[in-house]
Amino acid sequence: MTDTSDGDRRQLDQFTRRSLLLGGVQAAGLGLVGWRLFDLQVMGAHRYGPLAENNRLNLQVVAPKRGRILDRSGRVLADNEQVFRVTITPALAKNVGGVLRRVSRILPLTDDEIAKIVARTRKQGRNVPTTVASDLSFEQVAHLNLAAPSLPGINTEFALRRRYLGGSSLCHVVGFVGSVERFTIDDDAVARLPEMRIGKSGAELGFDGDLRGTGGTQKVEVDARGRVVRNLETVDPVAGRDVTLTIDSELQQLVGERLQSGGTAAAAVLLDIQTGGIVVMASAPGFDPGAIAGGITTADWQKLAQSEDKPLLNRAVAGQYAPGSTFVVVTALAALEAGVLSPGERIVCDGEYEYRGDVYRCSKREGHGSLSLHEAISSSCEVFFCEVAARLGIARLSAAARALGLGSTWNFGLSEEKSGLVPDPDWKRGNLNAAWLGGETLLTGIGQGYLQATPLQLAVMAARLASGRRVVPVLEKRDGISGFVPLGFSEVHIDAVRQGMAAAVNDQGGSAEEAKLGAGRPVVAGKAGASKIFIGYEPAETPRYAIATVVERSNASAALLARDILNFAVDRADHAGGKTPQGGGVSPTGDDTGKAG
Amino acid sequence: MMDALFSAWSTSRPLRLSDKLWRIHWPVLLTVCLLAGIGTATLYSVSGGSFQPWAERHTLRFLVMLGIVVAMATVRLDVWMKLAYPAYLAALVMLALVPFVGSEALGAKRWIDVGPISFQPSELMKLALVAALARFYFQLPLEKIGKPQYVLAPLLLIGVPVFLTMQQPDLGSACLFVALGLALMFLAGVPLRYFALGGLIAIASLPVIWSGMHDYQKRRVEVFINPGMDPLGSGYHITQSKIALGAGGVAGKGFMQGTQSQLDFVPEKHTDFIASIIGEEWGFKGMLFLIAIYGLLILMMMIMAQRCENRFARLAIAGSATTFFLYVFFNLAMVTGLVPVVGIPLPLVSYGGTSMTTLMIGLGLAMSAYVHGRAGGR
Repeated sequence: MTDTSDGDRRQLDQFTRRSLLLGGVQAAGLGLVGWRLFDLQVMGAHRYGPLAENNRLNLQVVAPKRGRILDRSGRVLADNEQVFRVTITPALAKNVGGVLRRVSRILPLTDDEIAKIVARTRKQGRNVPTTVASDLSFEQVAHLNLAAPSLPGINTEFALRRRYLGGSSLCHVVGFVGSVERFTIDDDAVARLPEMRIGKSGAELGFDGDLRGTGGTQKVEVDARGRVVRNLETVDPVAGRDVTLTIDSELQQLVGERLQSGGTAAAAVLLDIQTGGIVVMASAPGFDPGAIAGGITTADWQKLAQSEDKPLLNRAVAGQYAPGSTFVVVTALAALEAGVLSPGERIVCDGEYEYRGDVYRCSKREGHGSLSLHEAISSSCEVFFCEVAARLGIARLSAAARALGLGSTWNFGLSEEKSGLVPDPDWKRGNLNAAWLGGETLLTGIGQGYLQATPLQLAVMAARLASGRRVVPVLEKRDGISGFVPLGFSEVHIDAVRQGMAAAVNDQGGSAEEAKLGAGRPVVAGKAGASKIFIGYEPAETPRYAIATVVERSNASAALLARDILNFAVDRADHAGGKTPQGGGVSPTGDDTGKAG
Repeated sequence: MMDALFSAWSTSRPLRLSDKLWRIHWPVLLTVCLLAGIGTATLYSVSGGSFQPWAERHTLRFLVMLGIVVAMATVRLDVWMKLAYPAYLAALVMLALVPFVGSEALGAKRWIDVGPISFQPSELMKLALVAALARFYFQLPLEKIGKPQYVLAPLLLIGVPVFLTMQQPDLGSACLFVALGLALMFLAGVPLRYFALGGLIAIASLPVIWSGMHDYQKRRVEVFINPGMDPLGSGYHITQSKIALGAGGVAGKGFMQGTQSQLDFVPEKHTDFIASIIGEEWGFKGMLFLIAIYGLLILMMMIMAQRCENRFARLAIAGSATTFFLYVFFNLAMVTGLVPVVGIPLPLVSYGGTSMTTLMIGLGLAMSAYVHGRAGGR
């Protein structure tokens, strides 16, 4: 008992000693702050002495000008227009509602709108100006300025507003800007400016860092009413950089109109095979980007965001589809490479394929009979590729799919980009917690099952098959394009697949016959997946464009859509005097151009 | 076993409610009221002479919390002791959940939304850490305090939440946990050689910490060292705040005359940067007065701790006092540009429910410890 209380006593003494020490540290800390305050407030007061009585210093933030977005030939797709804006400062207006009612004689302001503005001013400081209306006409500004003496707190000023010149066909690629929703104390002060806009989707979001620029500051002396008396120090803002896209906006316009008239949700991607440049990226339905930038109402926004047909979704990079029979070219190439199928080998299709007790039916019920690889691709025979996939196994199949660009993202400038899915046993174990079934290999082999790809990935796949090189998509046009490295597949094997694709479009009764451009026009090679998906490239001999199209309604035809788009592209190239609209100067001489290294 | 330990130091009869109220340290509560009053007056001034939108809510919130402090003071100490570890675990689980269910504010997830209320688990952790460390040392026999394994255990109690908040990333809270935890270990009597060793390790590992920091954190430290580098980022707030403080001078411009800040030049003027308003309106004299009030409050609480016999009580009170100190120090150091912008409010003066709740509940715990932890208390 005595021991314990002795120990307690000792410990209490120690606690007291240490409390004193800690207290000393704390006192020193507060002393340090006190000394700092002395330095700032007593010694530093003279620093601001020259200011006149009642005047004060302000460090104002100056918003940078946002960079423009241009298409490949320099056509402006997004820029800034100057608009007049009128604001009200509650501290000067005193009676905000009353002043606004007087303003409503000049500007069309409803009682409802006035009530909303009054509510908004209540939420912030009395000296913070609130926007009453933007996009004023010159007459309105003149009237407001004339009436200024009776409108205390009202101020008219210039402001920059984002303008979209590409229309709705470019809405997904270019994207749109919006105001900063939430900012924290650590953010750039520019984010606090009410007029600050940042990228919310498309290239506006993907290249936001380049477009945004850096804010400037202005140290000013202001009088008691907040008016600037003199400028003490200015750091100019740095305007954002212009971003030039690889998109051909005129071609995209045509494609956009074609998609609109198709009456179904659809997407199309046209790639320049040599540069990887995305020449067309279209998705329907779309929206009017100008309406969003101009300040969309919540109700209209909700309508857009919740619409069944998802107009805000860029289907070309964020729509994920089962590639269907377009995928058999991957299965074929993988099998040739693995040596489980030889180019001349024939396999008999009797309309169905039996695998471990399950029966897989061919689209042609009576069977295709004996088929070579060439004929199998051309006629899109499921039984043939079920057999090939079974020989191949999922590991080699998924590896080939990845090598051709499926299942990956490229970070090329659209953050909406989705990765699709190339399934394998590890993926299934990890995500569905189930073992891989042999039958799933067959489904994958004919582009069904878990397999998913975006139209962009399918276009990249077509470009890689056409060139034999690791084509990577780019959205920003850059100089000094270097060639892509070879895929590492045997040229003989890729050629066998290319022959099949050429036959699918051009042979009598080929499964993708609809994509044929017509007499005297370049030859297209391609592959359709039922009627909803098409991949291809043209010209077949010296490929320049790769294309992928997707339509969501089954009675529309992706191959017809691709044909129309390729016709537009050929017409445009002809107009340009046979000159390719690409930069970089690499001549389109097929798969032996742009040697690696 | 805890009950047995408990009765070892106190065998007297349980306190009646009137005894408990009598034993509350009222001067401390009065000081706290004074601070909240300064907050109300400043918020009234900031909104241009209006109780809306901040001053009224601030006052109501404080009064409710004051009631809670008094109510907490009457709750027996062993209730808090039993709650210490579960509260710590709960806070830990919520901290770990933040990355998955938390709502994000520009790159950092710190908040959890439960229906209409959203709160920061890191705030709950500040209370829980004090309680858990106090609880740990309450049970630990004296001779074991210096043994390595018993130094490692509290270090883990501190380290795990530090690690979790770094992930959010919330560097400010992580630093606060470290400072708070180490202060409590120091008070509990951990031998000084460990602190010396820890200091050496910390200095040696600085380069490693630097390379593990997020880019924006590195940038903030760099901006702090050279504010001219980023006149618009955190440097902007500090510049505006320093101008306002300088404009105040020695005497200040007078109540509601702080034009520099009234014109909304100072960001977050009603929350983290409220001190620059006080500095402009009341001058250097006013700031000294404010520091003196905080100093007095912390001093009184440290004395409260000395008068307790129960180790849990002592550490709980000292921990609560240290929390106050850390808030005041880091806030004023930030406003005057001594440390980078960390987003820590001025206790009981800044507008905002989260920090007020944390500090007042900590005070309630300390008060309960003071009421029940002295001789004759139970």
